[in-house]
Amino acid sequence: MQKNWDLKRLIFNISSLVHLGQEVTSSKGFNEKIKGALYVVTGIFSIPRAALLIYNSRLHSLDLLTSKGLKGIDGTILRIEHRHIKVLKKNEIYSIKELQNNPFYKQNETAFKTLQTRTFIPLFVKEEFLGALSLGRRLSRTSYLQSEADTLRAIANQISTTLHNSNLFKRLARKATENKKLYENMRHIYHNTVQAFAAAIDAKDVYTKNHSNRVAKISVAIARELSWKDKDVEGIYIAGLLHDIGKIVLDRVVIRSKNLTNAEMDEIRKHPKISYDIISKIKFPWKDISDFVRHHHERIDGKGYPDSLRDKELSDGAKIIALADAFDAMTTERPYQKKRTLNEALIEIKECLGTQFDGNISKAFFKTIQKEIKGELKDPQVLPYLDKDFDPSIIIMLLEGIIAELSA
Amino acid sequence: MLTNNFAVVSKAIDDIAILQPKGYMNDLGAERLEHECEQFLDKGLKKLIINFSDIQHINSMGASVLIGIVQRISESKGQLYFTNIKKVHFDVFEMLGIIKYVKIFKEEREALKFLIKDAEKLGLEKTDL
Repeated sequence: MQKNWDLKRLIFNISSLVHLGQEVTSSKGFNEKIKGALYVVTGIFSIPRAALLIYNSRLHSLDLLTSKGLKGIDGTILRIEHRHIKVLKKNEIYSIKELQNNPFYKQNETAFKTLQTRTFIPLFVKEEFLGALSLGRRLSRTSYLQSEADTLRAIANQISTTLHNSNLFKRLARKATENKKLYENMRHIYHNTVQAFAAAIDAKDVYTKNHSNRVAKISVAIARELSWKDKDVEGIYIAGLLHDIGKIVLDRVVIRSKNLTNAEMDEIRKHPKISYDIISKIKFPWKDISDFVRHHHERIDGKGYPDSLRDKELSDGAKIIALADAFDAMTTERPYQKKRTLNEALIEIKECLGTQFDGNISKAFFKTIQKEIKGELKDPQVLPYLDKDFDPSIIIMLLEGIIAELSA
Repeated sequence: MLTNNFAVVSKAIDDIAILQPKGYMNDLGAERLEHECEQFLDKGLKKLIINFSDIQHINSMGASVLIGIVQRISESKGQLYFTNIKKVHFDVFEMLGIIKYVKIFKEEREALKFLIKDAEKLGLEKTDL
């Protein structure tokens, strides 16, 4: 009869352990797992009251994680110092009597009484102290048999591993947050550096002051209108900032010259290629930047430079920068041309569709200006840099007409 | 995330609460039974009958819930009655020492007969008594 009972008890304990294993490795949330584990312990050993405490290394305390059958224990904590932890044996089952001479017990006598602790099991994984199980009196009021103590230790090991994994996960999550911050800082520094380069390029000529920055912003506006992914939008922003970097090697006199000789013109026409040579040596986290930069003076009809590429041979990025660059040149004072009004610039772009500019890219550009004028965009990129001497209703009417024509 | 395989149907007759848990007592969902018992105890009903006829499985988590109920009843100086227990569950209760704290009846009707002397209230035939 006794043998039969032992077998039944063994089967129940094993199936409970299997269940505990499933519980702690399930996709349930940490709190639910840990509460489930405590229920398994209290169920196997008929313990009405129990608590699971987690070690807080910063405050040197054992804080309440979950409990069963205990009321009015919120905020109960046990103070535990390194010297106390040192003398505790890993996953050892201490009866409260064994602990009573320990300074750790004396320091926390009230808390132990609140938790009605009869058995205390410190939880470790390797040498790392993670928490403790506080078990109340068993329903049977008996102590643990050897086989029960073995089962209890196995369960304590499982719970320790769960706490350990949770700690690892928290550390990993913290590390990931730190890395993200670090990456954001690096990105910020990176942008600032590129902006400083752009300012250096533009500073060669008072006429082109802030040009690269404006081209970058206009390009961003077009790319967003075309629903580019954020990472690619960032790429075209950088390409916009650096598109004229090749001008850094040009003579300041050539850049500012009103009437260029053929030789000077040839010299100026070299800057996209020089920009490309500089940019292509840098490993950017965004694709095709050097391509965008190299081809920002190409035209749809193949009459651009440096490679005389035609429509389909050109990337959208190159077409965007080309349009942004030309629009900014039109709407700012240059030594070789008078500044155009917004109305004039938009008409000129429309007239150059299919020869200098791409229809789809230009349509996106017209749409974004329309939205910016109507106040539909949170973060306008083009309007803030334009003179405010235009009549918004006239521009909107003009744009509606052009967009309708392009959509037909 | 609790599984949806456990429910409790309950009613009260005089100062007696009758609870009929259904399904699997194998996860934290079984706590519902403990909550229902607590509610009856808070209302002053100290005699609780739990009818196990529709319980399919009880594991250590379910057992923990029952141990919690035993404890609450004992603190409230109430009485707990188990009925319609399958042999396999009886063995678990015996093994965990729960049996000592409850009165067992084969059928819910028998527990009621024991608790209510006025047969008419139960709608029982006098011959049943």
